[in-house]
Amino acid sequence: MLLQQLINGVALGSTYALIALGYTMVYGIITLINFAHGEIFMAGAFVGLLAVAALKLNIFVAMLLAMVVSMAMGVVIELIAYRPLRRSSRLSALISAIGVSIFLSSLALMIFGADAKGFPSGAFPVRQLKIGEAEISSLQLLIIGISALLMIGLEFIVKKTKIGKAMRATSEDYNTAALMGINVNRVISFTFALGSALAAAGGVLVGVLFNAVSFNMGLMAGLKAFAAAVLGGIGSIPGAMLGGLMLGVTEVLGVAAGFSSYRDAIAFAILVLVLLVKPTGLLGRKIQKKV
Amino acid sequence: MTMKKAAALLLVGMLAAGGFGCKKKEGGEAPKAAGDTVKIGFLGALTGDVAMFGKPTLEGMKMAAEEINAAGGILGKKIEIVEADNRGDKQEGASVTQKLISRDNVVAIVGDPTTGITKVAAPIAQKAGVVLLSAGATGPGVVETGDFIFRDTLLDSVAIPACIDYFAKDLGYKKVAVITSDNNDYSVGLSQTFRDAAKGKGIEIVSDEKVKDGDKDFSAQITNIKAKKPDVIFFSGYYTEAALIMKEARKQGLKANMFGGDGLFSPKLVELGGDAVEGTMSALGFSPEQASPVTAKFVESFRKKFNGADPGLFDAQGYDAIMLLADAMKRANSLDPKVFKTALAQTKKFEGVSGTISMRDNREPIKSPLALLEVKGGKFVLKNKVPVKMD
Amino acid sequence: MGAFLQDITAGIDPYILQILVNIGIAIILALGLNVITGLTGQLSLGHAAFMSVGAFASALLTIKSGLPFSLNLLLAGSVTALVGALIGYPILRLTGDYLAICTLGFAEIVKVVFLNLEITNKALGLTVPPAKTTIPMPFVVWICAILAIVAISFLQNSRFGRALKAIRDDEIAAESMGINLARYKLSSFALGTFLAGVGGALYAHFLSYINPSDFSFLKSVDILSMIVLGGLGSVPGAVIGASVLAAAPEFLRFMSQYRMLVYGALLVFLMVFRPNGLLGGVNFVDLVLRALGKKPTIPVGTGREGE
Repeated sequence: MLLQQLINGVALGSTYALIALGYTMVYGIITLINFAHGEIFMAGAFVGLLAVAALKLNIFVAMLLAMVVSMAMGVVIELIAYRPLRRSSRLSALISAIGVSIFLSSLALMIFGADAKGFPSGAFPVRQLKIGEAEISSLQLLIIGISALLMIGLEFIVKKTKIGKAMRATSEDYNTAALMGINVNRVISFTFALGSALAAAGGVLVGVLFNAVSFNMGLMAGLKAFAAAVLGGIGSIPGAMLGGLMLGVTEVLGVAAGFSSYRDAIAFAILVLVLLVKPTGLLGRKIQKKV
Repeated sequence: MTMKKAAALLLVGMLAAGGFGCKKKEGGEAPKAAGDTVKIGFLGALTGDVAMFGKPTLEGMKMAAEEINAAGGILGKKIEIVEADNRGDKQEGASVTQKLISRDNVVAIVGDPTTGITKVAAPIAQKAGVVLLSAGATGPGVVETGDFIFRDTLLDSVAIPACIDYFAKDLGYKKVAVITSDNNDYSVGLSQTFRDAAKGKGIEIVSDEKVKDGDKDFSAQITNIKAKKPDVIFFSGYYTEAALIMKEARKQGLKANMFGGDGLFSPKLVELGGDAVEGTMSALGFSPEQASPVTAKFVESFRKKFNGADPGLFDAQGYDAIMLLADAMKRANSLDPKVFKTALAQTKKFEGVSGTISMRDNREPIKSPLALLEVKGGKFVLKNKVPVKMD
Repeated sequence: MGAFLQDITAGIDPYILQILVNIGIAIILALGLNVITGLTGQLSLGHAAFMSVGAFASALLTIKSGLPFSLNLLLAGSVTALVGALIGYPILRLTGDYLAICTLGFAEIVKVVFLNLEITNKALGLTVPPAKTTIPMPFVVWICAILAIVAISFLQNSRFGRALKAIRDDEIAAESMGINLARYKLSSFALGTFLAGVGGALYAHFLSYINPSDFSFLKSVDILSMIVLGGLGSVPGAVIGASVLAAAPEFLRFMSQYRMLVYGALLVFLMVFRPNGLLGGVNFVDLVLRALGKKPTIPVGTGREGE
């Protein structure tokens, strides 16, 4: 049974990893906790749902559509709610982010109602595979696989491409990067787009995995993903993956041990502990406080 | 100093505001039916996550009011339903209740479908001398607030013991896995009622798992439950989590069915759960099948009005609420809540569409029969009607 | 005295009374958050959780002990301040973003604790008997509100208040000026949560039934919106923001399902276009002094102006 619970944990953790990847990227560049990231995850799930249910698209096409829509959303949100505040205090930007988050989830509530919606059956045929005493579904495997792939893809973009270099430069020193001729605005928009696309992919996959898409799925998922990103080391892409998996396993084992009431609290407890003991997380770099 | 001046200014401002609001209702404290209408308020959610219970209650109320008005009204006056939406929020519920009483001068309020908001509205209604009748609250601690507070629901404390006998004897269930949604007060109360009722009935609770409203992942709990090999799962929460729990159960190969209270009863259970919820049972105070003559007539009128749709539990209880109030007013020959509340408290064997209703000495209702519904072929059908002893 | 006040209250429309009480409680909550977030610049997203601590503490005190209400309120507030200090102590050295998320996290933990606490009846919550006082509730609430307004106004212009503002404007600079960050942040947190606790206690006795789900993240956002609307760091701002947002639902009932939508957009809009809110940057004492024809004693322009 322990093996089964571990598998449950890894599968859940991969969903957190997917969202955490986007979070950690954005934070690495503009040191802003994009509170609305969770809502983009939710929006992606809804777009995917609509695509499959109303437009009768194949699930992978639906996922791509969701990613495209979310990219646009992410860029627009950055433009409206964050860019004007880049020179303002942290507090203003944070409050603005919360405003966006509240706005999006309320919008979803208004449009889709409070009840969770499921994907039409047969949207993604799921098979159970046996691993020893335990079972894992093909969907869970897919999620784990896609997270890993995306992580590798992201690392590639960041380490090996020109725009990736620009991203790294901007995250090191925003002002100097601008002085060096990097179009900082463009880099930031690109980062948001990329992060949002990942969140949307996560949203669709999670929506299919649990077969429940609801207006309030973004908040908790976003916060836990943030905890995962911090655990793994904020700014580190493999860290996000590692953090996500560890968080998922810890959460599931906690629930299995009877602490299901505290399942959400576990993420926060981990967050606080990491921040107090080793703020850079498991794989993160030291962030200097600049005067 | 200027600080004190500022404080003084504010104090004056507040008193002024209080004075401005100083106009009191004329005609003493008791709300009276004025003109040729008698106003009854609706307290419930029309939007938000418990709108599922509020909207049908209002529909049922309106149907009953229309029928009574078509037959001449009560004591010569037509019923007017005053509606408001509390969005499922307690503070809003308190404000709405106060507004219905002070601004709209209602003689009675039907609501709230949830126990939580009813508990907030009750002291307000009690203090103002307005009758409050809940068509949905099933948990404890409601009517104790005072003698203006009533309900017409089938109580958990009545329904569950009746069910348990049936399960143990007729269906032969011995081992039960209990799942509670521990941030849901309805669920926590219902599970406790179940545990108390199961004692000494030959039922063994082999597993006691917790979930939360809003949870999506139940893999850990199901894995735990599967190992204990229960005959049936008792889940005291709402339909969304129920559907997802059953999906996970079927995914992991757990064959046991689920049984729960009226929180499971919703077409959304099937919508979300699909095949996984075939065989799920819900204990209710109403079913359109095997109807008594009174119920059959109600079901037929409902179908005609709503394009063939069947009435649900809250439609029926909302309808009954208005009928009960009207009946009490007629018997007391008065539209003054101070007077007809006594008649209401003395209701015995009233033939409602949601069953035969009597008010006990403590103003709690006792209803018969209890309907046990089961999902078959994607719809809720009647599995059994369990009669309840009316004392 | 109590009987006299009761007569007054009996003569006022209970509907209006209820609105006034809601406003009063909102003012107290908003002032508390204003100390933490507006004055000291530490974004706390868990204010509702502290409200719940005060609410349950006060409810238990009324149920189990016969303490007069004034003592009850003080105790409830103090218990909340203690919890606030305990929670604040480890996390106050974190910077803005992380602090905010941690406050949210602790709020979640507090909620879960209450959901599992036998003494507060877990999810079923507590039915709260009437408060032990002869003074009617509306007066109690408003006396507390006015006391809070006066106290915080004094605080703002005191040495303590200036230290808090220095921390808000630039932590590193403040530290190098010799301000003990930890001590001041902790004190501000304790004070802010004390007010949250008092607000919660009043709320509990006003609604007479509370359960953990009353104190959600959305409620924290509600209170945050009040001080953002009125102007961060401004006492009259907090009062006006609280009054407007507490009373508005009554008049805008037809729009009630759009409420959170409006709040979200409002927060973004205010931050981008008018970060000082309606009254931030306006020094109330200044205004009053000038109205009286005296020269302002505090230099103009003490309101925050971005970075």
